[in-house]
Amino acid sequence: MKISLERSGGFTGISSKVTLDTQELDPAERAELETLVNKSGFFQMPEKIDSPGLGADRFAYRLTVEDAGRSHTVEAVEGSIPEALQPLIVRLNQLGRRSRG
Amino acid sequence: MSARPHLVKCILPPFILDHIASNGSDLQRARASQTQQQSAQFRAQRAAAATMQASKAPAAGAGKSRNVYTANSGTSLPGQLVRQEGGPPTGDPAADEAYDGAGLTYDLYWDVYQRNSVDNQGLRLDSTVHYDRGYDNAFWNGAQMVYGDGDEDLPPDQRLFNRFTISLDVIGHELTHGVTQYTANLAYQNQPGALNESMSDVFGSLVKQRSRGQDAASADWIIGEGLFTANVHGVGIRSMKAPGTAYDDPVLGKDPQPAHMSQYVNTTQDNGGVHINSGIPNHAFYQVATAIGGNAWEKAGQIWYVTLRDKLNPTSNFQAAADQTFAVAGSLFGQNSLEQQAVKDGWAAVGITVGGGGTPESPGCFAGLLKALGFRSVLL
Repeated sequence: MKISLERSGGFTGISSKVTLDTQELDPAERAELETLVNKSGFFQMPEKIDSPGLGADRFAYRLTVEDAGRSHTVEAVEGSIPEALQPLIVRLNQLGRRSRG
Repeated sequence: MSARPHLVKCILPPFILDHIASNGSDLQRARASQTQQQSAQFRAQRAAAATMQASKAPAAGAGKSRNVYTANSGTSLPGQLVRQEGGPPTGDPAADEAYDGAGLTYDLYWDVYQRNSVDNQGLRLDSTVHYDRGYDNAFWNGAQMVYGDGDEDLPPDQRLFNRFTISLDVIGHELTHGVTQYTANLAYQNQPGALNESMSDVFGSLVKQRSRGQDAASADWIIGEGLFTANVHGVGIRSMKAPGTAYDDPVLGKDPQPAHMSQYVNTTQDNGGVHINSGIPNHAFYQVATAIGGNAWEKAGQIWYVTLRDKLNPTSNFQAAADQTFAVAGSLFGQNSLEQQAVKDGWAAVGITVGGGGTPESPGCFAGLLKALGFRSVLL
């Protein structure tokens, strides 16, 4: 399973991207991430989640998952991310943040 | 469980993602709290309006009312109240900067433009500091300002961002999103969104310039000075004087802002590049303010403020902003006045002809397609 999380916007407008292939992770990490994706119902989510009234300078996220020949992308603004997806995004943020420096 | 850095491939600037609302129940609480707070603010707003009507002549600054909260590194809003209007400093730099910055922003709008807070009816200015952990951002959520602490959770040699209250223009920027919401209500997408962003940079910068007593010629026109740590090669987040030159860093990449329509960036990221293409109207304002001379918040700021308040709407694009600022300059300072000519020249410097009829040199994809099909550019 290939996972890619892009972030854009925010006050600084500085975008960033974290990608990983779960096949390259150790078994425990791989299981954790694949479970987070599968439990979220990601492939059934709409491609764009409407986010009226969220104000300004929020982060915009674009999450793409490729798995078993299918690919799906979901776009959502911070503050409108579906609950089911939040643990995955938090985890990906942690993984990405630790690779800094 | 440990992450192995080599497995995480950063394709764009290898800058790292930050946290979002940490779990569903937090988000639900935040939303519920926002709603409650909005309701409370609308009640307060009605009460304030009634009070003002009763007194008829409010004293200067009568509407200035600030609350500062801490989220204590969580994501619930507004959080725990730490300072109210007239209260003593807390000793926490973030809380005191949020308080002082909201006050200086209120003062610009009240003293110079006679606007009583974001809604012109004395709405209380609420700010929350210490939002989340490792949160490299500040935002306006539709009802209040929110500030992260930057990279406080990382070792000093890995930190790229300081706390977001450290820069006064960030506070002016966020509060101006509130003013825009209550006036033109520019849509947060494509050109109207970039104009929305630019208005926040313009008045954010004016708050800073006024607090420093700097005229247009002596101001640095940098947005977000002090946000970067010494680990970053950059003077700030954006430059209104020279968009695209604020930073150039091995980790963060280069400032992507254009200064001219010929470099307009078509992208689906960042709501259509609202923090990127804002460089174009930002630079137009810089050109106008320096051509007029003196304090930028006086004449140029007045032209922009009246345009935002009375002339723009949710779908206004750059061309509309150029045409309307030109018209407002004529109303305020006279047709063919030096001020009006400065507005015309300022927009011309970024590739927009006043009265040019919605045909910018580099229309967006959709507008270009419409044009190619024989439609007049309407929105984008």
